[in-house]
Amino acid sequence: MSDAVSRLRRLTALILKGFLLLATALSLVAVLLIIAYITRDALPFFKLRGLGELFTSTAWYPSGRPPEFGALAILVGSGLVTLGSILVAVPLGIAAALALSDILPYRLRQTVKPVIEILAAIPSVAYGFFALVIFAPLLQNRGGSLLAIALWLIALPLGLLLIFMVTDAATRSIGEDMASFARLILAAVLAVILVRGLLALSARLTLLRIASGTNALNVSIILGIMALPTIISVAEDSLQAAGRELREGSYALGATRAETLFKVVIPAAGSGIIAAIILGVMRAVGETMVVWMASGNAAQIPSPWFNFLSPVRTLTATIAGDMGEADQVTGSIRYHVLFALALCLLLTSFIANLASEWVLRRQKRRLGGLK
Amino acid sequence: MIQSIQPSMRPPQGPALADESGLKAHVSCQDFSFFYGDNQAVKDVTLDLPSYQVTAIIGPSGCGKSTLLRSINRMNDLIPGSRTSGKLLFDGQEIYGPRLDVVTLRRRIGMVFQKPNPFPKSILNNIAYGRRLHDHLDKGELQATVETSLQRAGLWEEVKDRLDDNALSLSGGQQQRLCIARALAVDPEILLMDEPTSALDPRATARIEDLIAELRGHYTIIIVTHNMQQAARVSDLTAFLYEGQLVEYGPTDQIFTKPREKRTEDYMTGRFG
Amino acid sequence: MNLGSRKLFDRSLTGVSIMAIILMSLSLLVLLGPIFSRGLGAFFFRATSEHLRLLLEQFNRGDAEEIAAETRVAAAARQPAYQMLADFENELQDMESSRRQGYRPQLKEVKNLLRELLGPLPGELDAVMVRQQYGPTRWDRAQVKLESILFSEQWDYSDKSSMGKKILVPRQRSFAGTRLEPLFPYLKNNLEPMLRPRLVFYWRFLTDLSMDSHFFGGIWPEILGTIYLTLGAMIFAIPFGIIAAIYLSEFAAAGRLVSMLRVCISTLAGVPSIVFGLFGLAFFINTLHLSNSKSVLAGSATLALLILPTIIRSAEEALKAVPHTYKEAALSLGASQLRMVLTVLLPAALPGILTGIIISMGRAAGETAPIIFTAAVSVGKPLKLWETLSQPTPALPWNIYNLATEHQAVDEIRHVQFGMVLTLVLLVLLLNLAAILIRARISKKMRG
Repeated sequence: MSDAVSRLRRLTALILKGFLLLATALSLVAVLLIIAYITRDALPFFKLRGLGELFTSTAWYPSGRPPEFGALAILVGSGLVTLGSILVAVPLGIAAALALSDILPYRLRQTVKPVIEILAAIPSVAYGFFALVIFAPLLQNRGGSLLAIALWLIALPLGLLLIFMVTDAATRSIGEDMASFARLILAAVLAVILVRGLLALSARLTLLRIASGTNALNVSIILGIMALPTIISVAEDSLQAAGRELREGSYALGATRAETLFKVVIPAAGSGIIAAIILGVMRAVGETMVVWMASGNAAQIPSPWFNFLSPVRTLTATIAGDMGEADQVTGSIRYHVLFALALCLLLTSFIANLASEWVLRRQKRRLGGLK
Repeated sequence: MIQSIQPSMRPPQGPALADESGLKAHVSCQDFSFFYGDNQAVKDVTLDLPSYQVTAIIGPSGCGKSTLLRSINRMNDLIPGSRTSGKLLFDGQEIYGPRLDVVTLRRRIGMVFQKPNPFPKSILNNIAYGRRLHDHLDKGELQATVETSLQRAGLWEEVKDRLDDNALSLSGGQQQRLCIARALAVDPEILLMDEPTSALDPRATARIEDLIAELRGHYTIIIVTHNMQQAARVSDLTAFLYEGQLVEYGPTDQIFTKPREKRTEDYMTGRFG
Repeated sequence: MNLGSRKLFDRSLTGVSIMAIILMSLSLLVLLGPIFSRGLGAFFFRATSEHLRLLLEQFNRGDAEEIAAETRVAAAARQPAYQMLADFENELQDMESSRRQGYRPQLKEVKNLLRELLGPLPGELDAVMVRQQYGPTRWDRAQVKLESILFSEQWDYSDKSSMGKKILVPRQRSFAGTRLEPLFPYLKNNLEPMLRPRLVFYWRFLTDLSMDSHFFGGIWPEILGTIYLTLGAMIFAIPFGIIAAIYLSEFAAAGRLVSMLRVCISTLAGVPSIVFGLFGLAFFINTLHLSNSKSVLAGSATLALLILPTIIRSAEEALKAVPHTYKEAALSLGASQLRMVLTVLLPAALPGILTGIIISMGRAAGETAPIIFTAAVSVGKPLKLWETLSQPTPALPWNIYNLATEHQAVDEIRHVQFGMVLTLVLLVLLLNLAAILIRARISKKMRG
């Protein structure tokens, strides 16, 4: 092979590599451009109105005279539905991830995975449509009874578990023969109290009148369901990554499956589960259609703040909703305030993304010691 | 304090066959078979493993020795689609019987694995893990248990000042001794060892073999190894398995110097495996 | 804890985790059930003669003679009703003035409702809006109209402690003793011959244009718009995505540049979809002026950015899954790296890459927020191919939102909304199914 030919070969290889690198760098360019343009169109708002009003005032009247841009209620709204969706998705998601990684037999696992994939594939506007057209009337007409049923479904097993742990702790110091008898009595008493309490509470709930079905509760539940696939798949990957040897070591010492999972596997997979939660949260915070259609779109802080039955407004819904009118006058302050809100969203997603990356990297390092 | 040591026990007598009177069969296989689905890994093995002796199970890879070992503490339950036939007895109780409580079984029969698998926790929490599951000990009792186990495993001097360090920071050999200490901490009667030194360097291996010699007589030890010389060094009795079947079983000296079966002799002289 | 408690705890965990799986599956059922059952109602339903008349007059479809015959039969059944109306109006002339004034508003309401029930009244000029030129095309809507003509709603506020109760008052009572009174039982008993319902399979719902803000017709413009947007997004995203995946898996040396690129990709994946929409507006439209205002081009570019990370990730995984031996064999035979990639690596990874692409297509088809400001309009004609460069388009996701919230007659077109949702969901699910099938075929091939 002549010198010139091989030099040409190397040159073309280099050019090729450069070209590929440039194409790959598109994602870098895109991120930079997004930050640049969102910030560029957000700055005029801050220059005009400063930082204080947006974050501390609850008066959101962009079309008022004079216009007011207090987004505090909107921020609280976003926070509230995010919190709500975490409350729904995290317990369900982690329990489901445990089922998939350790509890379900292989065949059932394969049947369940498509369910999760379908839930993940359904477009958000379909979820929003469901939330508005089917779920909201349901909540409005039968909300009280639904909440009562949910109360029983959740509080009864949890309560029983608590009773169980309490009786166990209380009778620890008594001798063995007395212990089981004492435990039975104590458990019976506590169980009666639990059931009476639940009955009273559920009776109150059934009478509850929900004024409007489009509220924070509606959105929290739907967002929770939307976040489930993300949380389940990342958490399950994490749990699997803990490894068979770890589980075997625990079982060989005489641990039950629950003990192995809680005391060894979950702590080992801990960072991954946290990353799963962060990613699920990101999905909830960034969701637009569901909240736009079914949150009630009222820019007010509920009283008390945790009243999920009241309508709220989120950042995403505000941007989507107001832009239609704001765009009439591109360059107006209304146009720029929406970019300011978008900047908040962007920063939140960046921070959450970095956090989950860091957490995942930590987990790989920790378990790396074993491999 | 750990109660399983019987100080009044006579010192180890040397290898003896299981059917000699005076030595109880701690674990007894009677026509025991194990199936992974359709694949029969252990074929009609009949074998008595006596108490407080070290028994080695040897054979070429894939001959079913690990499967047999893991059947004793029912670790094979973790594999779906497996089943057994015949009897496997522990202290006269059927291990695969319907009324046997697996959790209690695994407390009385401990296991050490081929690759050291300490939990990503502190050294102290690793050792205390098993004990904490079954008993409620106060701080002093726990500390004493941990110290005794580490001493038994020959690791105490090296880690006594850093019990709170992460167990993964130990070397491979130390991790394996940690796993042994962890297994001993729950006070088992039997210790199953599945190729415990195959992932270790020669120096660590020698330390573990010394440890086995020390533990002998206090625990029944059943060790699976593909290293014949190791079996010759540490065990009182040796069982040779080939393709799932028990070919020969007897005192180690006899197996290694005057094997009765031709297959055994072929394996010893390296003609296969 | 003693042994019994430990085992009980273990069993409760098993129960709780299985409950979680059951709850999750149930929620999928609850979600998709109504969408499927009511969505199918947009395709399979009992249609009235008005539907056939509409199809003939607006879409030029159907047997003219048969439909004319139907219309005649229906008209014959309606004749007595119109007669009663005419008789009553005559009666009114002869009434004393105050009584007449009392009846006027109620008569007006009845006439309006009758128009909604049966279509334009005989002798009236053709209405301008298409929706007023026909009666209800669906039997279920017709029955709702019947209810509203038979009963008027009144509110009972007598009970101060709770909200007002809605009560239905038979309208017949207000016309007691007049020539109009028998109208109501007549309508109730003769609705079928007046509208002649029959079961139809309106599959052309997918291909018809919509008439008069989706009052009638189909959803073809939306479907076409979604197809344009999705394909456009793929045209932009696939080349860049695959090239990036090849670079990352084959040519990139581990280092700060590469890890920064990876961070960028995952950052891009985390950006909320509405922010993409705003960026598309600010950058593609207001800065680059890809088009003067909304267009399919701008929308596709925005969507492409959204799905780029997904394509890169799945393509990279597919490339990494190709066995080393393939690559080594090619290289050892003297092939350059480029040649190896083009002739060995890419073909081997193709099924996996295809899977990722198809799943991304599903994602692009279903996204709303990126196209709100960049491409979507509520009403429009199906675009010709060259028009996509500069014109906006209706699209399924946007119009589902629009019809369900901002439309003037939300309740009238429920079936259209459900039909759209069903179409979109089915489109996405079919794409995902295709991807799963491809994936299954790969693993079968791999297992050999």
